[in-house]
Amino acid sequence: MTVTQTLSAENQAARAAAARARKLGRLAPYALIIPSIAILLFSLGYPLVWQFITSTQKFGLAQQFGRPPEFIGLGNYATVFTNPETWAIVLRSIAFMLVNAALTVVIGVLLALLMTAIGKAARLILQVALLIAWAMPVVATMTIWTWLFDWRRGIINWLLTAVGLDFTNHNWLAEPLSFYFVATVIVVWMSVPFVTFSVYAGLTQVSDEVLEAAQLDGADGYRRFHYIILPLIRPVLMIVLLLQLIWDLRVFTQIRMLQDAGAPPSSTDLLGTYIYRLGVASSDFGMASALSIFVLLLTVAMSAFYVVQLLKEDS
Amino acid sequence: MKKKLAAVALFAASALALGACAGTPATTTPAPQPTDTAPTTEAPAKTPQDITFWLIGGDTPQALRDYLVEQYKTVNGGTLTIEEQTWGDIIAKLTTSLPDAANTPDVTEIGNTQAPTFTNVGAFADISDMYEELGGAKLLQSFVDVGAVDGKNYTLPYYFGSRYAFYRKDVWKEAGVEVPKTLDEFNAAVKTITEKNPRDIKDFSGFFIGGQDWRNGISWIFANGGDLAKYENGQWTSTLSDPNTIKGLTQLQEIQKSASMAPSTARDASPWLYINDSDVAAATDDQAEEKTTLSAATIMAPGWAHWSIGDLVKNDEGKEVRQWNDDTFGVFALPGNDGKPAPVFAGGSNIGISAASQNQEGSRDLLRIIFSSEYQTMLGENGLGPANSDYVSALGDDQFAQALIESASNSKLTPAAPGWAAVEGSLKLEEFFAKVAEGGDIAALAAQYDAEITPMLNMK
Repeated sequence: MTVTQTLSAENQAARAAAARARKLGRLAPYALIIPSIAILLFSLGYPLVWQFITSTQKFGLAQQFGRPPEFIGLGNYATVFTNPETWAIVLRSIAFMLVNAALTVVIGVLLALLMTAIGKAARLILQVALLIAWAMPVVATMTIWTWLFDWRRGIINWLLTAVGLDFTNHNWLAEPLSFYFVATVIVVWMSVPFVTFSVYAGLTQVSDEVLEAAQLDGADGYRRFHYIILPLIRPVLMIVLLLQLIWDLRVFTQIRMLQDAGAPPSSTDLLGTYIYRLGVASSDFGMASALSIFVLLLTVAMSAFYVVQLLKEDS
Repeated sequence: MKKKLAAVALFAASALALGACAGTPATTTPAPQPTDTAPTTEAPAKTPQDITFWLIGGDTPQALRDYLVEQYKTVNGGTLTIEEQTWGDIIAKLTTSLPDAANTPDVTEIGNTQAPTFTNVGAFADISDMYEELGGAKLLQSFVDVGAVDGKNYTLPYYFGSRYAFYRKDVWKEAGVEVPKTLDEFNAAVKTITEKNPRDIKDFSGFFIGGQDWRNGISWIFANGGDLAKYENGQWTSTLSDPNTIKGLTQLQEIQKSASMAPSTARDASPWLYINDSDVAAATDDQAEEKTTLSAATIMAPGWAHWSIGDLVKNDEGKEVRQWNDDTFGVFALPGNDGKPAPVFAGGSNIGISAASQNQEGSRDLLRIIFSSEYQTMLGENGLGPANSDYVSALGDDQFAQALIESASNSKLTPAAPGWAAVEGSLKLEEFFAKVAEGGDIAALAAQYDAEITPMLNMK
């Protein structure tokens, strides 16, 4: 009797412990992300708040050197958004972002598929090459790219001339369209390795048995990719696409360095360089902050769409 | 649950990514700090101070830098660190560093045209009390003026330079043209050389001037009596539409069309590449290379460019250097139409002590060394115009010194407007000149850019 009682008491205790564990189990993930959220708030809070306050002020070089700024409410926003140049740049940036992100992801996926299909040695060479391209410092890479496309001594012009097209002294950076072509080549070249590695990691998780079964059932390569591989690596694709979109929207170094090589700024500016030109170069920090806040909202809107999609899939 | 976590992680990831986006403009511009670090005059007399000195570009030769470091050690006991900045982003660098006591250079060079902007906002320490000691009335007055506000001196001239023409004697002779005596003759001469193209070089320029190169291009505006901006009734106005300015721009456009094959994207960086013959190595390996490398008969450049022009030879250490050759190369000051040299952009820079510097005493020691007769003489001997007129003779009397002194005699500064640095930083002038070079409608472009530049000039 006492034994059963003890047992049942122990039983109850165990049940209670299990319930506590379940409850803890539910809370644990939230507890675990608290530090990262705290760090985010801490490190981003100050600049964000500063930026928001500045965007409502007339803040120029004199204020940077200590003169008290004047509060002008939404004046900066009004000035920025009634300027047709701003809208032209916003549209250009979005177009640039979409084209670059799409190209990067498509080429990245193709390379990842290639990596699953080739032998070990070839794959290793490809991986090392991609890794080097990825690890190269942007400024060093950009210096070499501007040399390649140099109007007078660039090897691209030389090669094109050598195959019979007259590209002697052709200036790639003078026209906005050919400027964006060069910028796209460079940006895509720099970002493909990241997509390839992420997608390749995803592809290794697709089990061979499933693919083999599909093959036996008569599914050809395209169908296997479309109906089996794609759904399985969808989460990876979603995230790399989102990251590419965000990165390509705020592209700065590549554009800026091409402009330093002589491209006319106002017809080749994207949001990043436009903010820089307004803020640091022309010392109008109020306007630059207003525009930065707009870009921030744009980015949040874009990622919110993805977050909503993910949550939908969950329910 | 897993998906929810993924969503949160994704959100965190995107927050990180866009955080970097939002952070960049803000973090590069630290919150304004009150500039209450005024000179601490009562500081203990001689504590060695380690200071930082920003030089911009490579104009100051290494020997002069070594001299400054050594002398500073002797005089102050501290260490002088010289950091070389680039002209391209110096405005951004100064904007973010000067107000910040922790990161400011103690002493910095600053472009003479940028000096008014930074002086007006209080970026530099008042050094009026040292003015007499450092040279007083003997210092180059126009440079002293751009560094002064309300009669107080904040920045003083570091060196002056000036631009003149470098030309290929051989090519000019082959084309049968003489060194011009007036600007009209110059404009005609470079056109003739381009048309004759005596060596049959593809895309040959009688006069190579980049489309965005407004620093050389403004000589045509100045020479025709025009200007970039004027000050009236307390307001600066951009004057690109002034009839005289338009006249100069029309001549410049004609040169761009018929004498210069430089791309509209070229600025004033390293034009000497185009009047040198090909590298020796390239010529022996591949004869065809030689023909295409020389591609201009004339360029305009600051005086120190002559170190980069000449035949390629090996020096004693086996390094390849350019050696000036009087048979091939010559110099002349760009002539005006009134018997005087055409007014060229007065190159050069000022120097000042950051108001936020914690090492005011050490910084003053450095200024004393720079304005000493030894250093001023060294500047002159290296082809940099000394700030103090007593030492201009140190430039010597060779052809470079003569061209420098002659062209500098009528040189002109850009407008001393408070927002001038912003105009330069915005690259509006590069754009305007490029559009003129591409053959655009000058009057319409001038009106458009006047409207854009005028508000920037008055920005405080």
